[in-house]
Amino acid sequence: MLSVGQNILTDLPWGQLLVNGLALGSLYALTAFGIVLIFKTTQVITFAQGETAMFSTFVAFTLLTAFQLPFAVAFVLTMLFAGVFGALIERVVIRRISTTTVLNPVIVTVGLSLILLGAAGWIWGYEIRTFPGPVDGSPFRLGTVVVSQLNALIFAVTLVLMAALFGFFRFNPTGIAMRAVAENRTAAQLMGISIGRMNALGWGMGTAMGAVTGMLIAPINYLDPSMMGDVALKAFAAAVVGGLTSLPGAVVGGLLLGIVDSVVGFEVPELRNTIAFALIVLVLVVRPGGLLGRHETKKV
Amino acid sequence: MSGPLLEIKGLTISFGGLVAVDGVDLSVNTGEIVGLIGPNGAGKTTVFNCISRFYEPLFGTIRFKDRDITRARSHEIIRFGIARTFQNVELCRSMTTLENLLVGEHAVMRGGAIRDGLRLRGVGADEARATARADEILDFLGLMGHRDSVVSTLPFRLQKLVELGRALVSHPGLLLLDEPSAGADHRESEGLADLVRRIRERFDLSVLVVEHDMSFVMGLCDRLYVLDFGRRIATGTPSDVRSNPVVIEAYLGEPEVEVSDA
Amino acid sequence: MTMHWLRTRGRAAAPYGLGLAAVLVIPPVLGVIPGVAPGYVLYLVSLGLIYAVVAIGLGILIGHTGQISLGHAGFFAIGAYASALLTLRMGLPFVVAVLVAGSLSGAIGFLLGLPALRLSGPYLAVATLGFGLAIPQLVVWQGSWTGGSSGLHGLPLASLPLGAFTIVFRTDQDYYYLAAAVLIVLTIFARNIVTSHTGRAFVAIRDSEIAARAMGVDLVRYKTTAFALSALYAGIAGALYAHLLHGISPEDFTVLLSVDFLTMIVLGGLGSVGGALSGALLLTFLQNALTRLPVVHDFKNLYIVVLGAILILTIAFLPRGLAGVMRSVRQRWAARVRHDAPRVDQIVELGEGSGVR
Repeated sequence: MLSVGQNILTDLPWGQLLVNGLALGSLYALTAFGIVLIFKTTQVITFAQGETAMFSTFVAFTLLTAFQLPFAVAFVLTMLFAGVFGALIERVVIRRISTTTVLNPVIVTVGLSLILLGAAGWIWGYEIRTFPGPVDGSPFRLGTVVVSQLNALIFAVTLVLMAALFGFFRFNPTGIAMRAVAENRTAAQLMGISIGRMNALGWGMGTAMGAVTGMLIAPINYLDPSMMGDVALKAFAAAVVGGLTSLPGAVVGGLLLGIVDSVVGFEVPELRNTIAFALIVLVLVVRPGGLLGRHETKKV
Repeated sequence: MSGPLLEIKGLTISFGGLVAVDGVDLSVNTGEIVGLIGPNGAGKTTVFNCISRFYEPLFGTIRFKDRDITRARSHEIIRFGIARTFQNVELCRSMTTLENLLVGEHAVMRGGAIRDGLRLRGVGADEARATARADEILDFLGLMGHRDSVVSTLPFRLQKLVELGRALVSHPGLLLLDEPSAGADHRESEGLADLVRRIRERFDLSVLVVEHDMSFVMGLCDRLYVLDFGRRIATGTPSDVRSNPVVIEAYLGEPEVEVSDA
Repeated sequence: MTMHWLRTRGRAAAPYGLGLAAVLVIPPVLGVIPGVAPGYVLYLVSLGLIYAVVAIGLGILIGHTGQISLGHAGFFAIGAYASALLTLRMGLPFVVAVLVAGSLSGAIGFLLGLPALRLSGPYLAVATLGFGLAIPQLVVWQGSWTGGSSGLHGLPLASLPLGAFTIVFRTDQDYYYLAAAVLIVLTIFARNIVTSHTGRAFVAIRDSEIAARAMGVDLVRYKTTAFALSALYAGIAGALYAHLLHGISPEDFTVLLSVDFLTMIVLGGLGSVGGALSGALLLTFLQNALTRLPVVHDFKNLYIVVLGAILILTIAFLPRGLAGVMRSVRQRWAARVRHDAPRVDQIVELGEGSGVR
């Protein structure tokens, strides 16, 4: 707790806060990445990212408990499910709405999140469950800093995914096609790229990223339909701070927000959200397009 | 008022590292129709946007009616007496023709939200006066038949006219026309030039017109300024400019340009 | 001024007259219907009327001025808490407390409008979202004088001093008349603004900021005014809410409430004052009716799922909301009565633009 006379520089366990913050930030980054990916390809800002992640995590839970599958298998299967689920959502719902205003996608994705929330509650109920953790060993020690096995796994997964995605968008023809669609839809269409397929792919991948976050956070946060609420909100803000048009921005935004959240959570836990959002507003006022995003000014 | 109506001196505008307008001098005297021409990308619309205060100049001054407006805010310009049209028509697409013209009178209508919300004395009269003025302009431009049409349903040609009407409605002293004949064929172009002449007479104002189409300006303008790559390369009467070798060279290689007799 | 006002209203006043009549007639009618607890229904209607106040203000901000706010529950909360604290802790009279609460909310709305000048679209959405989340958190943080997470209770009854005697709004029916009266006044104010040059300036900002600036609309002034106005409405509504419930707590003002407000104006139709009103009433009715449906599984789940479905279906099939439907019906009826085929620009209008009113 923040107290008078406390020297911020020396009295805080900065090392630990940094590590915790980066772990938390990685989760924000993964979710934010999904949000930005969906936005870049389909121009839709999804408020349903948390709920799709939650729903996928419940599916994982069923695979782990009812079917007794090993974690790695359940992990991959859930990612596949999330991918298909996301693509389906895009085809059935998103494709039918006009994206000319910001408001339409907001309302629709909020509606989606409500439906998923209700459905999850109906299928699995509202009791809080424990999610079987993927790793079960003693934490690592780096000097005075403690890194739990789960945190280590989070770092590892994030790094691997980021590397894989970086490679995908850089070298894989489909990844390049997606980037083309994000830059200039019309030109991409004229080049023979199927917008519909890219949209579905974008949503699929974005939803899958959310599922990964859900499965990594459930062991800490427990499993219930409202588990992703706070994370999704923060990830959303992180995506915006990083610049909605920038994938690396989402990662940077996520990590930064994670560290801020960790520090603030240590010092003034009652004001976590307030300070986080105050900083976000500050960043946006200074850079209206986000840290790494492009601020489009209309040509007169 | 001594001196020209509009006087621009040494105007320099840059974006990042690119100098779009470089030390341009320009003036419009009361009652004149002045043309600002040059090849694509010469910086003509940029000059306009600076007069409208959408862009900040790096150097230079803009004086209108002896008042320095170089640092004025964009919404004050119309109040000084300068109204403009836009190359890409900037209408309020969800509003009707009449409503768009009424927007043009925003600067002359008094009061704010509280006055309007409570419908205090004078609000109704203001509105009636504004509507009458708008109707007068609509009548002059032959747009009465589309008075209550939502402008997004109108063809481009009519939308440009509506925008012109919106600029006229505020009794401006100077009218800035940004590529008024864009998208018009030769016959429409002539009609437009004629309309501008009639507007000058009827409403007793001056005009600065940015144009890309040489034949449009030749018959219409009293004087011309020619820009190329942001610099003023020539000035004078249309016949001076037409035979100026520097101007001809600037336009050489532009397939659509016809330096023809108006 | 009043006579002139009445004369010029004329035909436009007809819907208001009808509305007024409806307001007066509802309570006695309810008393006559068997099996209905009039008190509770009036309480629900009052709630709907209070939400309608928020919706109308928010509608001007989002529908007319083209801005966005995902945090209006924050202004609602400011109004509620300000009024609650002023009446409970400082013994201020109800009317004064409501006005101060509304003004405070409006002032903060003005301040929130300032960063909004730089932001738009999703960025503005997130900024306002943050505001809405921060307010209840700040209330809990300063729990020592705001009542913290347990909230404030036992608020004094609403009362209106009139010279020698005072009207005290004791019953649900009394409060219903209070809420209706406030709504009517604020609706008239909103309609006046929307049909005036201020309203046109708002729409100009939405349709083309460039044109607005070139035609003399001061963006700073008008954007902050739009925010302040919507915040004022939400603040007054919040104050009324606090006294309707006789108590409030931070959990009353979540993100879901902000989403509810958005849903009301989308359902009712953006850009329409009448739409905001009907959207608010409809949603309040739906929310309460749905939780009552006899279903085998939890009421809670079904209500959430149906609400979500309504949101999606409205955007997909009724993008202009109820007001849009009414407009189409009216135009088709008018065309039929005149024995015309609908004019080309009318048909296009049905799909294009949302008009100024």
